[in-house]
Amino acid sequence: MSLLCASPGQAPPSSRSIDKTAEPSPSPPSRAPTPPAAQLEIANKLTTASALLWDPKFTSRPPPGKLPPTHAGTLSVANRTDSSISVRNLGGGQTIPVMDNRRHPSSFQQLEKLGEGTYATVFKGRNRQTGELVALKEIHLDSEEGTPSTAIREISLMKELKHENIVLLHDVIHTENKLMLVFEFMDKDLKRYMDSRGDRGALDPPTIKSFMYQLLRGIAFCHDNRVLHRDLKPQNLLINNRGQLKLADFGLARAFGIPVNTFSNEVVTLWYRAPDVLLGSRTYNTSIDIWSAGCIMAEMYTGRPLFPGTTNEDQLQKIFRLMGTPSERSWPGISQLPEYKGNFPVYATQDLRLILPQVDQVGLNLLNSMLQLRPEMRVTAPQALNHPWFNDLPARQQHNAMAAAQAQPLPAQMGGYQVPQGAY
Amino acid sequence: MASSYWDSTQRKFWTFTKQQLNLERKKLEESERNLVSMFPLPDRRLLSIYFYHQLSKMARPLGIRQQALATAQVYIRRFYTKVEIRRTNPALVLATALYLACKMEECPQHIRMILAEARHCWDVDTSFNDISKIGECEFTLISEMNSQLIVHHPYRSLAELQSQFQLIQEENALAWSIINDHYLTDLPLLHSPHQIAITAIVLAVVLKPTQGNLQPVQAAGVANALQTLGNARNGAAQGAQNRVQKLVDWLAESSVDMEAVVECTQELISLYEIWESYTDKTCKDQIAKFVKARGVDK
Repeated sequence: MSLLCASPGQAPPSSRSIDKTAEPSPSPPSRAPTPPAAQLEIANKLTTASALLWDPKFTSRPPPGKLPPTHAGTLSVANRTDSSISVRNLGGGQTIPVMDNRRHPSSFQQLEKLGEGTYATVFKGRNRQTGELVALKEIHLDSEEGTPSTAIREISLMKELKHENIVLLHDVIHTENKLMLVFEFMDKDLKRYMDSRGDRGALDPPTIKSFMYQLLRGIAFCHDNRVLHRDLKPQNLLINNRGQLKLADFGLARAFGIPVNTFSNEVVTLWYRAPDVLLGSRTYNTSIDIWSAGCIMAEMYTGRPLFPGTTNEDQLQKIFRLMGTPSERSWPGISQLPEYKGNFPVYATQDLRLILPQVDQVGLNLLNSMLQLRPEMRVTAPQALNHPWFNDLPARQQHNAMAAAQAQPLPAQMGGYQVPQGAY
Repeated sequence: MASSYWDSTQRKFWTFTKQQLNLERKKLEESERNLVSMFPLPDRRLLSIYFYHQLSKMARPLGIRQQALATAQVYIRRFYTKVEIRRTNPALVLATALYLACKMEECPQHIRMILAEARHCWDVDTSFNDISKIGECEFTLISEMNSQLIVHHPYRSLAELQSQFQLIQEENALAWSIINDHYLTDLPLLHSPHQIAITAIVLAVVLKPTQGNLQPVQAAGVANALQTLGNARNGAAQGAQNRVQKLVDWLAESSVDMEAVVECTQELISLYEIWESYTDKTCKDQIAKFVKARGVDK
């Protein structure tokens, strides 16, 4: 589930709930039928931040039209309730044990609901003192299991991981019976961004390059800190109106500090799941996040998931059809994996150029190195960041100066490079 | 265990100097002066030993691994630097710390199993009997620890260094158990995991374990062994002392804070000293007194 903007209708089940039997994995989200403009109606009216996106000062993109103020479009009508629209005080007047330096829930004004996940509800909120927008993730406590493990894992990891490509956890607020995580506010997740900004979901190459670079930086930072994300997908990548991309939703993330071979193999949403995981490998490592990044890169070009499998088997077939069916010769040891079957249909490796004509040659080389079937052959995040494909990326030179640049919203950052750099 | 130690919350927020730690505790005691004077408690290290025994009793039937136990011990120690022990029910805090540590170390236990084991091993005390208590207490623990729950342990450093020093199996086992012992002291709040690991290795090598009886390490034995180490340093010993020599040389050239290693050693020696005066009963009775008197269920 995505931290922000996960519309409940299409939020894929948390991958923990996906198993071989209950597989009807995320039905292809209602991508095509959703007219992009509809999703942005309110954004234009409601938040100054999003409204900026259509400010003629910054973009030549036509505004999405005259739209009445309405709910933020992150919820389907059925999910909309009065209470989630109205602004209410979180504190509710009840006395809350306030720990010394901790903030009181009522220091945030709760705005509309942004989404609902398996263990949390996310609201937009506003810091009463500073006016700053935040995302409030309310954790539901379960009497049988106390604070959910996923929440504990996410919170504790987020406390350690501070990076500009990882969504920032401002605060954790404990009240009598709930836990509220205060995250920096991000406008959209990548999936919604693609739906709303892209051409039938496809993004323009400069934006893709910028996003990939940021995605890989976030991944590299996690891996450097010995953390696997394990659930990278467009819904878990958040985009703000400065064109920044940040990794979110670390509920399934795992520290790989201690060499363990008992990783659960039920992680990562099927479509972005690496073949070694699909084959039942339990000794996977950082390379699983790289596979997901490759899938996401292809998806940004086409607007459609690269491998939209429906079951574990179907997922593998879809991968093999494109990347070729591996054998003991191309992947020594593969036949030892629990889910390996000798009778996989044998496909030849396809030329990615033909499948993804949109991608330039250098980009295809990078993509290919991320989508290696054998985990050991996959490029690492630091290697990928040094790939020549990123040579012409301003961010590569910029990223050190990024902090400084944040003060002055560069148009280039705004529209994901839709405006040529030279224009300013 | 995750992320780098150097940027960790453990280093930033949960590592103190001795003075800071004393100050924190003094503040805590002063805020509860009455309770403290009414209910004297044994030395903190003795209490820690008692807690460890209780934790092990709970953990054994559930097959909980050592690292989770260690994490639980760190949680308990952190918690009691913020909350006066006499205001709590240690049985509940221990059970909850173990429960939370298991979640963090990815060997989750069912809350009911933890409750059952807790009730079993604290036979006298049945002041908590439903799972919601553990849930609440877990919440308090997370909150008091500022959700900073990732603990870096010395076991990893030991694993990394063991080949470097070509530790034999017995030495490795001894170093491992010395690390286990350090959770009974304040060392986890005072020094970094790698310093602890190096201390454990030094002690293990100089103590030259030969036979199975590793525990408890005797204070006197440690002192003697350190004497040996001194000799080795002076180049007196030959041959047999080769590895000790190598270790000492490595230490001399490394940038490891030797003062810290010495301090850790001291702390461990005094732990082994005071261990000899340990009795289960004293701890148990004195805890029972304030728990009963205050009727605390948290």
